[in-house]
Amino acid sequence: MAVHSQVNGTTAIPWRSSRRRLSLLEQLKGCQEAWCPGAPWDREGAHAAICGAPAGSFLVVRDSVTSQPSVLCVSAGEENGAIVDYTIKSTGKAFQLSESRLSFSDLAQLVFFYSLTRDVLAVCLSIPRWIYGVTDKNKDRLSQLEPKTWLCSSADQCTDEMTQREPETVMCSIQLTSTNGALCIINPLYLHEHGDDWLTQRVSMAPAAKQPTNYRRERRLSTTRTWAGSGLTKRAVSLDQEPSATLMESSGLTRAKSADSPHCPQIPLTADTPGGVVLRRPSQDSAISLPHRGSTGSLPPSTPTTPRNSLGAALDLQRQGSPVPQSPHRVSWIEDGVWLPPPRPSSLLQPPSLELDSLSISSIEEEQESQMPSPSPHHPSAHRLADKVKNRLSAVSQALGGLVCQKKRLTNRVQELSDRKGGLFAEAVKGFVEMTLKRGADPDGVTGSEFLQEVRALLTSLRETLLDFPEIQMLLDSITDLSDAEIDSLVELSLHKVALKPVSVHIYSCIRTSRTNDGTFKRLQSNLSLLEKNGMEELGGSAGVGIPDSASLERIQQRWTTMHEAYSPNKKVQILLKVCKSIYHSMTANASSGQIFGADDFLPCLTWVLLRSDVLTLQLDTDYMMELLDPTQLQGEGGYYLTTLYAALYYISSFQPRLAARQLSVEAQHSLNQWHRRRTLHCNQSRRSMHRRTIRRQTCRERGPQNSETETENKGESGRETDPDESQQQTESSSSEALQPLREEMEREQEGEHQSETAHQEEVMRNEQADRQTLCRAEEEDKRGLEWIKEE
Amino acid sequence: MSSRTSGGRSNGTLPQTKICQFKLVLLGDMAVGKSSLVLRFVKGQFDEFQETTIGAAFLAQSVCLDDTTVKFEIWDTAGQERYHSLAPMYYRGAQAAIVVFDITKPETFERAKAWVKELQRQASPNIVIALAGNKADLAEKRLVEYEEAQTYAEDTGLLFMETSAKTAMNVNELFLAIAKKMPKTDTQNPTHAARHRGVNLQDPDAHSTRACCGGN
Repeated sequence: MAVHSQVNGTTAIPWRSSRRRLSLLEQLKGCQEAWCPGAPWDREGAHAAICGAPAGSFLVVRDSVTSQPSVLCVSAGEENGAIVDYTIKSTGKAFQLSESRLSFSDLAQLVFFYSLTRDVLAVCLSIPRWIYGVTDKNKDRLSQLEPKTWLCSSADQCTDEMTQREPETVMCSIQLTSTNGALCIINPLYLHEHGDDWLTQRVSMAPAAKQPTNYRRERRLSTTRTWAGSGLTKRAVSLDQEPSATLMESSGLTRAKSADSPHCPQIPLTADTPGGVVLRRPSQDSAISLPHRGSTGSLPPSTPTTPRNSLGAALDLQRQGSPVPQSPHRVSWIEDGVWLPPPRPSSLLQPPSLELDSLSISSIEEEQESQMPSPSPHHPSAHRLADKVKNRLSAVSQALGGLVCQKKRLTNRVQELSDRKGGLFAEAVKGFVEMTLKRGADPDGVTGSEFLQEVRALLTSLRETLLDFPEIQMLLDSITDLSDAEIDSLVELSLHKVALKPVSVHIYSCIRTSRTNDGTFKRLQSNLSLLEKNGMEELGGSAGVGIPDSASLERIQQRWTTMHEAYSPNKKVQILLKVCKSIYHSMTANASSGQIFGADDFLPCLTWVLLRSDVLTLQLDTDYMMELLDPTQLQGEGGYYLTTLYAALYYISSFQPRLAARQLSVEAQHSLNQWHRRRTLHCNQSRRSMHRRTIRRQTCRERGPQNSETETENKGESGRETDPDESQQQTESSSSEALQPLREEMEREQEGEHQSETAHQEEVMRNEQADRQTLCRAEEEDKRGLEWIKEE
Repeated sequence: MSSRTSGGRSNGTLPQTKICQFKLVLLGDMAVGKSSLVLRFVKGQFDEFQETTIGAAFLAQSVCLDDTTVKFEIWDTAGQERYHSLAPMYYRGAQAAIVVFDITKPETFERAKAWVKELQRQASPNIVIALAGNKADLAEKRLVEYEEAQTYAEDTGLLFMETSAKTAMNVNELFLAIAKKMPKTDTQNPTHAARHRGVNLQDPDAHSTRACCGGN
């Protein structure tokens, strides 16, 4: 059962925004007397009135006794003048067609719904086009309309009736007509100067009989769009204190169908014109943003001075869905293409919103871009004025595209810019690719990390270049339902496609070379063999933490593969988050309810997973993400789990096996601990603290927490009681020669880690001492591995 | 998603509110209740300011403070000693830290002190550090005296509260105290600002082109 709100007449359709109001519904309610007339009208009268009217024309007849709406009379089409009657059942507060299960809380909603989808009807109900011209100003006249007016869909008298008092508004319109893929743009100023009779005169002569056989299908599509547009209209009006009423009046746009094309005298329809054209659906949100653009001055100079015109034009475009074939095509937004069958809502609760995702509008810009300059000998005016309209048109197209698929739109637009021979952005991208390929290949070149940072810096300047394009600006400004971070991510993604994709393989090979040369791969591999048998307990996880079963692990491996194949670091991070999510899922699978798993358990579990994964490839991917992600994307959840992935890999690569030389690990660990202070630390300080440590060892009880060198220095002076275990080790720590016993001690302590927290802490403390000893050697490692966490 | 709404955009649910976003890192020994503490805080807040995250290691939560919405991005760290050396990755760039210890385990207090020292030395210079003596509900097992921790906190310039994730004692208070101490410059829109900077300047174009071509 459909849910309706009685308050504002909107249906509870989960479509994009709760703020939207459906003005068409209000208009329908306003003129209910016209389509659902009272007493004198009966079934016969309705049939007489409807007979000959276009398909979908309808009237609702009231029961003569109860005055309740009882029959819906619908014209099935003019070929035979058939009229189909549908019984309306009204049960208490709900109305429904007897053949249908859908019920509606009022009649207008019923009519509204069946104008969008035919459900049990033979055809969709047709709402006269002129109803969209109704504004606040003349709204009150709606109630005075009569059925004859209602059924007058030719727009001639009705439109005139509704709009004559504001003739100036007719001028603001744009026509885009597709024939053979050509685009015709008419500057509103031209219309203003020369009128639009030339544009419309032949329209009225268009024989309705030329409607194609697939009329019904088209109607359904177009009315769906009407529905979307009406939402936009209302919303825009409510935001815009002065409704773009004038523009609405000119909504001569019709549903896009091939039969429309001949109506345009400019471009004769040729025989091979595709049978259908697709109406692009507008975005309500983007339409709103248009005035913002105007106010911020970001509109192109040639844009008409009243940004609202753009808005109005956009609004106009949405009303073209009105299924009135005879209407003048003052504004038409059509494109060659294939009709996309709209989803047929099974109930009012799942309305055309589905269509949002099924429609691609991305080719709007392409079409516009490529066809704009094409000369049209028949229509010099259109050609001459094309440039003037271009920018405005761009705005409109963006408004139309809006929410449908911003990502794709942006991506396509960026792709276009990068393909534009000789264009600024195209040249920049070309330079980026060439330089990246050349730079990384240089054997004497920079380190892997430096190289990646250069790539990142170049990407950033490419992005800046991109953002300087007004069209990109407007495109982004039209996206209002995403946070800035998400928008930035979108920009990055589109940039990655044109810039990073061509070089990603090369970048990978550079990272591989770098990681091979610095020994990371070797360490990872050797440590992997040492650690791979470790369970969660050995890795420090608390009891009760679940680990992924083999099936989960298999899925994770697949995701790792997908992550590796992605060229965009942003995309990789998204996949990483999926992996982390499934790890959490495994962790909690067998846990007692309410048990919380934070980093104490997640990091060991992730490490456990990594030990059963291709760590070398993951190291490459991690470097790739760390270095090439936009730094702002390193915040938030993605940044956290990427950091954790990096940390877990680092833990593996820097793990100190029992009898192996500790040196590398010390350097590695040191580099992590010292990245903040790298520039100020010196070897002599380290030596000094080595001696301090000896003192502290004898006296310090608080050795446990002394895991940083600075701690060592500070606490060294404070007298504490000596731990027997530590006393044994005093001698070994007084010089660097004591490293060997230290190693042994460390191993011993590693084994006893769980039994002796203090001993464990002591180990770490000694690690720190050793770190300082190797500071100088660690410098290089430092630079290499940790540029990403460098300050600034 | 409402809490992600930025002040710079017109469709915000709180357009008049300044939004400050901070990274807060959680440090402390294993099993002192870091995650429980944060989860208690997050669960105790209004849902509308909550952001869904995939797990408890990273949580995001906003609190309202007068005319400011303070959004915390909370980074949990693994408390095991073996992972200690990874901590700098996490507290890098953090504007706030909560160092948690367990009042029933003196060694965790010592470890907390070490974290504080490390943060004061190595983390961001202006980091706001709070010390939380957790598990205050286990008063009968207390081994770290309140006064001791309080004195230490005063000497070191920390916020200090004894908390209980179990009873929610002082949990919200702790985060609010941190929020109040945070500098209230609008940090929400660095990227947005950057974008407009990029638009306004003429140079980036030429610069990027030059940079790219220069490498050829």
